[in-house]
Amino acid sequence: MIFTLRTFHKILGALAVTAAFSATAITTANAAAPVAQIQAALAKPTLMCGRFDQTKQLTGIKKPLLSNGRFCVASGKGILWQTLQPFPSTLRITRNAIVQMQNGRVAMRLDAQQEPVVKMINNVLFSLLAGDLSQLDKLFELDGTIKNGNWHVALKAREPGLAKAIGDIQLDGGAYVNKVTMQEASGDHTDIVFSGIQTGDKAMTPEEGAMFD
Amino acid sequence: MTERADSDASSPIAPVPAKPKVLRGLALAWLLIVALLLSHNAYLWLVQRVSPDTDILALLPSSRHDDVMQQAFAHMVDSAQQKVVVLVGERDWDKAMQAASAYEAVIGKQPSLLQPMAGDAAQLQGAWLSTFNQSRLMLLTQEQRDKLHKDSPQQWGQLALSAMYGAFGGPKLGAWQDDPFGLFSGWVQARAQETPVRPRDGRLFVESGGRSYVLLLMNLQQSAFSISAQEHVIPLLDRATQAAKQSAPDVEIITAGVILHAAAGSRQASSEMTTIGAGSLIGIVLLMWLTFRSLKPITLIALSIAIGCLGALSVSWLLFGRLHLLTLVFGASLVGIAQDYAIYFLCARLGTDRHMDSRQLLRRLLPGLGLMLLAAVIGYLGMALTPFPGLRQMAVFSVLGLLFAWLTVILWFPALIHADSLRSTGLADRYSHSIGKWPQFRFNRIGVVLLAVFAVFVVAGLMRLKVSDDIRALQKTPQHLIDDQIKLGKLLDTPTPAQFYLVRGDSAEIVLQREEQLKRHLQTAIDKKLISGVQAISNWVPSRQQQQADHDLVADKLLAPQGALAAIATAIDENEQWQQDLRQRLLAQSKPLLPDAFIASPAGQPWRHLWLGKTGGQSATQYASIVAVRGLSDYRQLQVLADVAPGISGVQWVDKVADISSVLSYYRQYMTWALLAAYATIFMLLSLRYRRAAWRAIAPPLLATLATLALFGVIGQPLQLFHVLACLLLLGLGVDYGIFLQEPTERHRRFAWLTVGLSAISALLSFGLLALSSSPPLHAFGLTMLIGMALVWLTSPCFAGSKPPTYDTN
Repeated sequence: MIFTLRTFHKILGALAVTAAFSATAITTANAAAPVAQIQAALAKPTLMCGRFDQTKQLTGIKKPLLSNGRFCVASGKGILWQTLQPFPSTLRITRNAIVQMQNGRVAMRLDAQQEPVVKMINNVLFSLLAGDLSQLDKLFELDGTIKNGNWHVALKAREPGLAKAIGDIQLDGGAYVNKVTMQEASGDHTDIVFSGIQTGDKAMTPEEGAMFD
Repeated sequence: MTERADSDASSPIAPVPAKPKVLRGLALAWLLIVALLLSHNAYLWLVQRVSPDTDILALLPSSRHDDVMQQAFAHMVDSAQQKVVVLVGERDWDKAMQAASAYEAVIGKQPSLLQPMAGDAAQLQGAWLSTFNQSRLMLLTQEQRDKLHKDSPQQWGQLALSAMYGAFGGPKLGAWQDDPFGLFSGWVQARAQETPVRPRDGRLFVESGGRSYVLLLMNLQQSAFSISAQEHVIPLLDRATQAAKQSAPDVEIITAGVILHAAAGSRQASSEMTTIGAGSLIGIVLLMWLTFRSLKPITLIALSIAIGCLGALSVSWLLFGRLHLLTLVFGASLVGIAQDYAIYFLCARLGTDRHMDSRQLLRRLLPGLGLMLLAAVIGYLGMALTPFPGLRQMAVFSVLGLLFAWLTVILWFPALIHADSLRSTGLADRYSHSIGKWPQFRFNRIGVVLLAVFAVFVVAGLMRLKVSDDIRALQKTPQHLIDDQIKLGKLLDTPTPAQFYLVRGDSAEIVLQREEQLKRHLQTAIDKKLISGVQAISNWVPSRQQQQADHDLVADKLLAPQGALAAIATAIDENEQWQQDLRQRLLAQSKPLLPDAFIASPAGQPWRHLWLGKTGGQSATQYASIVAVRGLSDYRQLQVLADVAPGISGVQWVDKVADISSVLSYYRQYMTWALLAAYATIFMLLSLRYRRAAWRAIAPPLLATLATLALFGVIGQPLQLFHVLACLLLLGLGVDYGIFLQEPTERHRRFAWLTVGLSAISALLSFGLLALSSSPPLHAFGLTMLIGMALVWLTSPCFAGSKPPTYDTN
């Protein structure tokens, strides 16, 4: 029986979390503040879809990378992230897997069975959507302010490895999250702005609904 | 007085007046030697603190003995021995963490016993990545390799672009410009998947069967085999478990560690030591008391055996420079035969007239005593002729022990025991007279029929006798420990510690290439889910050859002027210069990764046990490594894994369980031959003295041994090395009885019978009671002694021959 402490696996795991967290952070907005007021200000729909506009500034590249698309967050099902411009691709995060589709084929797939972190991310995610801040509070230090129904939250990962890997995350919003900002230690910077948010059963197109099945 | 006794009694007294002086001088000289033995032993154990070898593989002949293999085992064992691993599981993760905290709080109070193994993740990260940072371009997973071969540069460009634009581009490490195609991140991700353990909320986390487990790793601060450490650590772990259960009632605690097994073994041994040991000691003391009404005899017997053991130890150590634990255990029990010399002398003293002094008595006994020693020495020397170091040590150890005990009897007993020292008791008298009524075996009709029935029984029994050399049959670990171990192995997907591949080569590079070759061969086993994967240094540090190939593949497919990089540049509107700069930046990460650097780094620390590095000695430099097998699903299919090795040069499948079993098998076989040879030589030796009556002395142990083995065949107990060892002891004691009972006179024969009784009952009490042991080897040894000794004892008078001529005038 040989098992050795794999401290470094903490880091590896943190990396996996990081990767998924770029996506997670988007929905984090719904319930990210420890402040009860922020929680109260948030509408907590079971289904929510909308448009996103993302601006990425990568070190070493002159121009910012602009992209946009649609996103859906369905409580109990998962998250759908469809980039439409400039390169169509779909990311689906469910309880069992994180799958990236491109041109009709799977470009990347992380199975929960193979990668236990997948399940963990989803657990965190779903508790977020349910408005359960305790889960998020465990992973992040939350620093929030609220004024006239508009709020701002800064998240900093409690685990140093994770913090170093994902950097700082900022959320802005009202009834819903409006904007996510991610600043990585490497200098890479991402802004995501949400708009046209719809809730209720009709928010999701049948095609989108099918992707969850 | 018989004529013989007369001559014995009268002749030596007058003519040699100087003899007592010589004898006294010899006895004093012996005292000096014993003092030397004592101090040498004290020096060995207390000053030098020597410890016997325990590795069973060291018992193989040196031609079969493989230093590198042994080093490999040591590597694997050392990395595990001092660890305690605990899994705290609950359906609810919060409760699991809560229980784990309660557990740790208890452990934390005793930092001198157990220390949690923790590393600062943040601190490590920089160092961890820096090991690979300069070599990013040299590291690819097999999947990436296949994809690079298959997919076009345009497809790779597309993939990279969508990752750039997407919010989620797969695992990402550091800045985009250092890993634009996500190759390094993918490689790290693949490495992470070598274990199911993940960080979660500052804890290590494993999930299985709906339960979330917190993994706690602790380092033992004292040796796992230290009894005092065991006595403190086990209750501490129990208290911690209690605390965890109090904080979360449904919590499941799985504990594993070498110390748990060691402690279970020690507990069992010490409880048996107190019951069986005390029982046998009380029995022997009682026996001697009832026979002699004095405790002096038992002290003297113990003295002779103790000096035998001390002498054997000292001289063997001087001869061999080391001793194996098995030698000590087996040797010490064979020295048990030495009790016969002392008992013989004591009983003879009891049965001899008071006017014959002890020196004269010794003269009379000397031929018999000499024959006994000679028979045992010659019998055991057979073991010394086998090529097995352990058997040679055992033979030398036993012979020395017997010699020292024998000399103690010869040189000291006449001075210590006087005619008045011992008085016969009524019980001893009644017993000793019983030999007169014992039935005699004769070659008449009844005798032949009995012999025929016995022969049928023996043949039938021996034909059903099976052998077993499986080491697992020799260990008896509590079931709950085994269950925990198996469960933990499954949860953590740990490699099997006793089975692995040993890879050798003339250079580190060749070793790594062979590992890669091996891994390719094992792919079928992985595809068939026989194993889930392997742990190997080449997973982390590919061979130079592979690194170069991977580098060239990436440079050609992705970085070439018309490659994927060009496609990206066009899409994001960057110029030729940008391409050039990024290509330079990436190509700069092409420093070959070397095993020594990796092993020395924090990243390599957990894998150190896999890399043996430079081994071998003066003749040729060799490098070696271990490839461990993870997630073995079916132990019965080990042969499939074993069959892979012969196809690749320098690769060897090692199965310690099978190897140890084969050692036991060799020893059992050689010991059986040694036993047969001992019978033959002892028979010839006895023939010299007893002529045609020699068979009478050898018949009791021979028949008892055959009957015992046949009985094992009937009741289905498989034959082990330990049975054979007991048979050797049976021979040693049984022949002594034969020699005693060949005494010529009725009176002498009565006291010879008393000697036999005392010796046999002592043997039954000291060795036979081991049949009660729950340790399988001790049980096997004890049961053989119990049945065999009883048979030798009870049948030996039947073969003593017709009553001696009644010229006894006493």
